[in-house]
Amino acid sequence: MAEDAPDAARLAGTLDVALQRLEQARRFNKHRYQMPVLDVVSRLIQVPGGLEVLRERAPALDAAGLFWGSDWEAPATLLPQLVGQTLSSDDRTLVALEVANLLRFLAIAQGRATNPNLHAEHARHFLTQVLALNLRHFFAGNSEADRQEANPGLRQNVFRFVAEHVGLEDVLGVLVDEIWRILEQRPVQSAPVKEMITQMAIAMTRQGLDAGAERLGVERLVSALFGPTTECRDDPGVAVYLGRLGHLDEAGLHREAQGFARAMHDTGLVSDYHAAFLRWVAPIAEVELVPEALGLGPTGKDCWRRWRGLAVDLIDAAVSEWTPQAAYGLAMLLERGILHLPPLAPALRRQMSMQLTPGTAQRLALAFGDAVAPETRLLAGVLEVLGQPLGVGQGANPTCQSARAISMWALNDPDYLLNLIAQAGEFDSVLMHFEGQPINSADLPAGLALSAPIDADPVSVVLVPHLDRIYAEMGRLCAPRGGEPHRWVNPEFHGWWVSRACLVAVDVGTGRLAEFDTFLTRFFKSYDPRFNGGRPLIHPQPAGIAVTDSAARFVGWHAIAILRVAEDQHGDMRIYFYNPNNDSGQDWGGGVVVSTSGFGERHGEASLPIEQFCARLYLFHDDPVRPPGIGAPVPEDIRARVHQMAVESWAAERLPEDGVVLAGSTDRAAPG
Amino acid sequence: MTDYDPEKGYIAILGWSLNAIDAVDRFDRRYIVVAPPWAEDYCKQNDIPYMAWDFDRLNERSYELATKLKDEGVDVAIPLFEETVEWAGAVNSVLLKNPRLLGQSMLFRDKSLMKRRAQLGGIRVGVFEEAHDRGDVIRFLVRVNQTLLKLDGDPNDPIHFKAFDKSGTAGHRVIRTPEDVDNIPDEEFPALLESHLDGWEFAVEAWIKDRKIEFLNISEYVTLGYSVFVPATPELEKHRARITEEIEKLIEAFDIDFGFIHPEYFLTNDNKLYFGEVAYRPPGFNALELIERAYGFNGYQGMVLMFDPKATREEIDAFFPEEVKDAKGHAGCFGVYPRRRVVSRLEIPEATRDHPYFEYHQLSEPMEQKVTKRTAFGTHWGLAYFFGEDPHRLRDLLKAQEELDFYV
Repeated sequence: MAEDAPDAARLAGTLDVALQRLEQARRFNKHRYQMPVLDVVSRLIQVPGGLEVLRERAPALDAAGLFWGSDWEAPATLLPQLVGQTLSSDDRTLVALEVANLLRFLAIAQGRATNPNLHAEHARHFLTQVLALNLRHFFAGNSEADRQEANPGLRQNVFRFVAEHVGLEDVLGVLVDEIWRILEQRPVQSAPVKEMITQMAIAMTRQGLDAGAERLGVERLVSALFGPTTECRDDPGVAVYLGRLGHLDEAGLHREAQGFARAMHDTGLVSDYHAAFLRWVAPIAEVELVPEALGLGPTGKDCWRRWRGLAVDLIDAAVSEWTPQAAYGLAMLLERGILHLPPLAPALRRQMSMQLTPGTAQRLALAFGDAVAPETRLLAGVLEVLGQPLGVGQGANPTCQSARAISMWALNDPDYLLNLIAQAGEFDSVLMHFEGQPINSADLPAGLALSAPIDADPVSVVLVPHLDRIYAEMGRLCAPRGGEPHRWVNPEFHGWWVSRACLVAVDVGTGRLAEFDTFLTRFFKSYDPRFNGGRPLIHPQPAGIAVTDSAARFVGWHAIAILRVAEDQHGDMRIYFYNPNNDSGQDWGGGVVVSTSGFGERHGEASLPIEQFCARLYLFHDDPVRPPGIGAPVPEDIRARVHQMAVESWAAERLPEDGVVLAGSTDRAAPG
Repeated sequence: MTDYDPEKGYIAILGWSLNAIDAVDRFDRRYIVVAPPWAEDYCKQNDIPYMAWDFDRLNERSYELATKLKDEGVDVAIPLFEETVEWAGAVNSVLLKNPRLLGQSMLFRDKSLMKRRAQLGGIRVGVFEEAHDRGDVIRFLVRVNQTLLKLDGDPNDPIHFKAFDKSGTAGHRVIRTPEDVDNIPDEEFPALLESHLDGWEFAVEAWIKDRKIEFLNISEYVTLGYSVFVPATPELEKHRARITEEIEKLIEAFDIDFGFIHPEYFLTNDNKLYFGEVAYRPPGFNALELIERAYGFNGYQGMVLMFDPKATREEIDAFFPEEVKDAKGHAGCFGVYPRRRVVSRLEIPEATRDHPYFEYHQLSEPMEQKVTKRTAFGTHWGLAYFFGEDPHRLRDLLKAQEELDFYV
C-alpha cells in the first residue's frame, strides 16, 4: 500500500490493479473492466506526474484491451481533427480514452510498442497533426471558450506532454502543410488560420526555432500576414507604416501595392498593413494604386473603371484593420464581374446605408466583438461572401443546407442574397414562399440549430437563424406527403433554377437501396457530358451525400452543391462540388478521398472522380424532361463499379432485401 | 476455451453471468454454459461452449436436461443464480447418482423450509412466519410489537419481509407501518416474515468439499444493502471459531457434501448468533470480487474445485490461501443510490475521489433526472470500490459515503 506516496505513485498502484484485471479478462468480458481502468486514468491525468505514469503503461493498456469494442479499436481510422474536441468533452471516460490513445500512439511512434494495425510512421504523423491542429491550445493562454470547459488546463498539459516527446519541428512542418491545404480552399472564415499563423510566429520566436525547411514555410505564411512588403517587413505597426508611406515616391507606392497583391493572391490572407494601405491610397485620384493593390485582372480592372466611386466607398465603409479580409472579398467581387448585373450596385448602396435592428447587431457583436460597428462587420462579410461564394462554411453547426444556400445564392443569385440580408438586417425576419404560402421566419420556432450560430461568417450569423427555421418549416409542411421532402423543398427554398425532378437512391420508408440502377443512369445522363450530349451544368444543383468515415462506415446525410462536371488534366471525368463543411478535404474511406487542389479545382471547390462521387451520392435533382435521343448510353460496367463501391460503404446494410426497417432511414436523419 | 486438462472434470454452469464464464474460461477445466436461447449468438461470436436451455419452463423437464448433460459427458453442474439452484440439484442427483441432492436444493429455494430445517438442526433463528397475503403481514407486525409491550401510537419495531424465491436483497423489505404493507407488490408473495434483530449483521462465504470447510470468509456489512468489506474487523473475526461451528451445523442440517454456501447471520447485543438465511450459489454485491481483491483467488474457480468430483486434495490445498493472515488488505464496496430527488450528472465527491483507499467506481451518468424512491435493498445505481490496510478506517470510510452525493 503506497498510502503516503504522492498521488501519481499511489494512483499508479491502483491503476495496476485495475489493469491486471482487464488483462486477465477474456475478450467477451473486457468491457466490464474497462470502466474502472478509465476511471483511474481520468484521475491520473489530473495529478502531477500522472501523464508519465500513463505513458509508461500505455502499451500495457493497449495490449490489455482497453480500446476493444470502441472506435479506438481500429487506430488507423482515427481522425486527428477529432482529438481536440474529445479532450474538451464533459464525459471524463471519453477524455481518459482519448488521452490513453494519444499515449499509445506516442509509444508506437517512439518504437516502445507495436500494434499490428498501426505503423510507427503513421502514429508519428497522427500525433504531429493533432498537435498542429491544436497549436493554439498549448502556446497561448486559454480562450474564453476553453475556460468554460470542465478541465481548462488539461488539454494544454496533454498537448505539451506529447509535444515534448514528439518534437516541435515536425509539428510546424505538418502545420504549414495543413495551413496551405486550408488556404487553398479560400475560406471566408480566415480567423482560425490567422490564429494558427500567429501562434506559429510566437512559437518560433519563443522556441528560437531555426530548422531550415520548416522555417521557410512558416516564414512565407507569417510574412503574408505581418510584413508582406518592403516597408512593413519589420512589422512596425500600422501607425509607423502609414508615416512611412508619405515619404515614398510613386515607384515605391507601386512596389508596395504589388507586394500586397502578390501576398494576398498567394494566400487569400490580407495583412492589416494592406488594409491600411488601401484606405490610404483609395482617395488619391492622381495615381491609380487600388487596382494594383487588389491585384486585379482585366475583368476586375474593367469593373473598377466602371464602378470606381462605389468601390472607393466600399473600401471606406468595409475595409479596416479589424476587417482586412474585405479587401480580398472586394478584389474577387470585382474580378467576378457581377457588378455589371443591374441590381447589384444599388443593392450594395442599400447595404451601405443599412441600420441593423438591435437583435441582429447584438448577434454580430457577440460573434465578432465590437471593435467596429456591426454594420461594417456585415458589409465586410457581404463583400467576402460575394467575392468567395465557395468559401462559406457552416461552422460547428448542423446547418449545412443554410450554408449551402448562402453559397449558391452568392454564386448564382447575388441580388437575391442581398435582398434576404436586407430583410434580416432591417426587420430581423425573412419572408419566403412555399408553393404560394408565405412563411415568415419571425413566426417560427428554432430549426436544427437551436441557438443562432456565432462561429460563422457575418452573413451566416445574420441569415442562418432565419434560413434554418424556414427550411425546417418547409420540411414540416411536406411531412404528410411522405417520401423525400427535399424533392419539394429544394426548388422552393433555393430558386427556380433547381431542377424539379428529384431522385433518391433509397426508399424513404425502409432506408434501403431502391432502383439504384435507374438512379445512376439518370445521374450520368443528366450530369456527365459524355452521356448528356456534351451539355455543361448551368446552375449549381443541390445534392445529398451519404457521408462515410475513413473506414467507409456511414456517418450521416450531408448537403452539398454540384458545380460543374469536367475532365481533369489526366482525362478523368470529375465532379466539382461545394461542401458547406468548413474543410472539404475529407477521407470517405474505401479509397474515396475528396480532393481540394491538384485536380483542376478552383478555390473552394472539392472534387472526386465521377464514379467515386456517385458511390456516395444519395439524392440529386434532374430536369423532368430531356430532348429524346440525346447523348450516348451509360455503359453497364460504370454502374456496376459504382454499385460495388456504394454497397461496400454507406449502403452496406441497406441492401434491398425484405427485412427489418433500419434505424436512420432518410426521413429521420437530419442532414447536417 | 483453448486448453483444458482431460484428467479433470467437465463442468456445466447453469445461468448467464459473464464474470463466471470469464473466470471458468480462464481455469483449467472443460466447461459448458447452459443458458436461455437468447445467449446463443453471443456465445457463437465469442467461442463460448454453450447449450440452450429455458429455465423458465417447468421443472418436470429437469431429467431431460440431466440426460443431455450426461450425454455431453458433463461431470457436475454449478448453479449461478437462485433460479437455477434446484435445476442444479436435479441435474447433479442424476450426474452424481445421488437422489438426495434434489431434495436438498429445494430447501435452499424456499426460505420458510430453509428456516425450519435450520431450527430442527439446532440452529438459533429469530421469530418467523410465512405470509401469503398482506393480511398475514399486518398480523405479524401487530403481534411482534404486542410481544414487545408497545402501546398504541408507539413507533413500531420493524419486521423484515423476504419474497420466498428472490435472491439476496432483491425482495427484501423493511416493514414499519401498514402503508409499507400496501406498497408490497402482489408478485412478491408468498414471503417469509422475520422479527427485527438488533445487532451486527454479516455474511459468510464458505467453500465446502467432502463436508469440510476449505475456505471461510466473513463479509462485514457496514450498512445492509449499502456497503460490505472483507476480511472483517478483528472485533468480528474474533468470533470466527464460533462462526465456523455454526457453518458446520449448517453442513449437518442441510447434509451438504460439497459446494458453496452463502449464509447470513446476526450477532446480537447479548452475544448470540442468529441464523438469517442461506443460499447455495454465489453471493450478490460482488462479494467474490472483493475476496479476489483481498486474497487474490477467484471465487468462481474455487467453486469449480468444490463441485468437481475429480478435483484432487493437492490442487485444493494449493488453491486457497489462509484466512485473514494471507489477505493483502481489506476490500470494500459501496452501492451508490442518489440522495437527491432530481439529479443531472455523476460527480464523485472530492472526499471520496482524493481518499487513498478509493480505487474506482462503476457508476455511469444518470439515465433519467428524476430519482424514484428506493423501494427494496440492493437497488443501487452502481458500486464504488475501496481497498486499504486498516479495517476500521475502511469501515468508517464506507459509512461516511452514505452522507455524500455522488449524483448532483
